[in-house]
Amino acid sequence: MTRKVCVVGGATTPFDYGPTGFESIEGGAAECIRETQEDIPEFSLRDIDLMVYSHFSVHFGHQLAAEWIIHDHLGLVGLPHYRVENGGNTGGSALYAAALAVMSGHHDVVGIVGWETMDSVTQSQGSEFIAMASDIRYELMVGGIYPIYYAAMANKWMKDNNVTEEDVATIGAKNRNNAMDNPKTQWYRNENRYITVEDVMNSRLISYPIKKYDCCLMSRGVAFVLICSEEYAKKVNPDRYATIDGMGLSSCTIRAGDRLNFPGWTEQYGPNYPEMTEFGACRNSAEQAYKMAGIKNPLKEIDFGEIHDAFSTSEAQIYKALGLADENTIAQFLRDERTHMHSDIPMNPGGGLMGYGHPVGATGLMSTIECFYQITDMVPSKHLSRKTEVPDAECGIVNSHAGTGTSISNFILRRH
Amino acid sequence: MSKILLKKKDREKKVEKPFFTERKEYRPEGVKETGLALVGHEISEDGYVMNQFLHYDQLYTIRHGWNSRFFKGLLEGKIWGTRCPKCGDTWVPVRTHCWNLDCNLQKTEWVEMPLKAKVHTWTVAGWSGRSSLKRLPIVLVYGVVEGSKVAIANELHGIDPWDVEFDMPLKIVFKPEEERVGAVTDFHFEPADSWEPSPMNEEKERIKHLIEPVYDWVKTFK
Ligand SMILES: [Zn+2]
Repeated sequence: MTRKVCVVGGATTPFDYGPTGFESIEGGAAECIRETQEDIPEFSLRDIDLMVYSHFSVHFGHQLAAEWIIHDHLGLVGLPHYRVENGGNTGGSALYAAALAVMSGHHDVVGIVGWETMDSVTQSQGSEFIAMASDIRYELMVGGIYPIYYAAMANKWMKDNNVTEEDVATIGAKNRNNAMDNPKTQWYRNENRYITVEDVMNSRLISYPIKKYDCCLMSRGVAFVLICSEEYAKKVNPDRYATIDGMGLSSCTIRAGDRLNFPGWTEQYGPNYPEMTEFGACRNSAEQAYKMAGIKNPLKEIDFGEIHDAFSTSEAQIYKALGLADENTIAQFLRDERTHMHSDIPMNPGGGLMGYGHPVGATGLMSTIECFYQITDMVPSKHLSRKTEVPDAECGIVNSHAGTGTSISNFILRRH
Repeated sequence: MSKILLKKKDREKKVEKPFFTERKEYRPEGVKETGLALVGHEISEDGYVMNQFLHYDQLYTIRHGWNSRFFKGLLEGKIWGTRCPKCGDTWVPVRTHCWNLDCNLQKTEWVEMPLKAKVHTWTVAGWSGRSSLKRLPIVLVYGVVEGSKVAIANELHGIDPWDVEFDMPLKIVFKPEEERVGAVTDFHFEPADSWEPSPMNEEKERIKHLIEPVYDWVKTFK
């Protein structure tokens, strides 16, 4: 039997874009760890026995092996370290790698530092860098940016599921408005206003049906998560830790057009799945996580989630891939605002990628941290009010997502 | 390692290098490799924060290797696909080995594809990467080339953006020969000759409304 893995602490820097007094990536990592130590005074850097670094693109950082700069800045010479990269799912994949290390029994206390500095280039140059994670031989030249691929996928998905532009626009407004209660979020720090579904509908076209406020933010930020064995969690933070009861990681094609008729999917799920519309890797990794956590009915058993809302359309597609609704119920699920704070399964109370920000290597860790805060009753001390607290949250899902759905991980966190 | 990759007769041979007899330059004006160059800096009023500007451009060689026939075919106005001799699956974009696990990475064979396709899904882009901004709005479709198991992304021309529809028949049209560079941008889709747009409807009006500012915005570029 493998060991239980716990999330015992974590913090992010504020997320921003542009010329603020940014503290540097190694300074940001240090500050995240200092905040974690304020939350868990018993935690010492000497306890860590492995560091996993989570960083997407050296194009943004213009520094190869930037983790080496961070690592020795933290004073951790001699300690094993490596970097995980897996597109937008870099954070989730780093968490997965770190959890495996604890689960195996080989490591006890593992730190994960994630970061991205996307404001080192212009927005349009940044979009092109991200698009270099599409197949540049076939797609970069004709699409140019990721939202176009997502829009093409979402357009058909919405038609197939009777979902309207307004239905998904509610998500763009929800996550930004949740971020208004969270002082580290990019939306709160930079835009600082509540928006309506109408604002989303009237925002400029990016690629039909996706508009500006259906899209996440380009960001700069750093995050730190501390995971460990249950023995260590009980020692340093007995009242506030979460257990990773389930986890799954799955993959799909790099080019979305290649997932029509893919034999590996047909074998598992039958013909015409995932089509170009569904996130097969999300369904598959969720099924792994649910099985491990003993979850039979996710809608009933999961209280909330921090999921990868790169686009409001993809958050809606993820609901379906997580099994919260099917093709007959998804439109009504959206119209009933089931994932808003006032309803039964709030999604992205922390603000998500659209509200908090999306500094790629830090993003999945940010989601993990927000989920951890909910489960350990830390929201009142981390957010501005209790408006974005999920009352009595026992079980949360963390979702991290890459490419056009090319790599996706899901984690089930529970109150211990 | 080399024992696994090479056939016995190849083992004594050194690497066989291709002899390139055709070379074309179409470098746009102003594109040059500068290497690393610091080009400026800025310091905040309070003196606490400094930003420095680094410029770095590098020439990359995309080595198409076993995929070369597809890209060379574009120069000749042809769409090449590949087909698995075992299971018959055919692809554009190409695969040099079969995706079917039962075929055990069977090497595929080249087949010339018809210049016909069908829209699988579509979008109308009002924003894009730096190098595509001037072409906006762009109708981007994933088209299934006749006989292919997968869809390939490309632009749809010769249509009012709001008229694009699912399953519409397409033809593949190449740029004039002298403008081709051996990239997927050498061709685009156009509606098949038989196709007629359907009447205006609510969704088409919505798309038209959304792209109006895009037309105005693009006019402001030089
Ligand atoms: Zn085959």
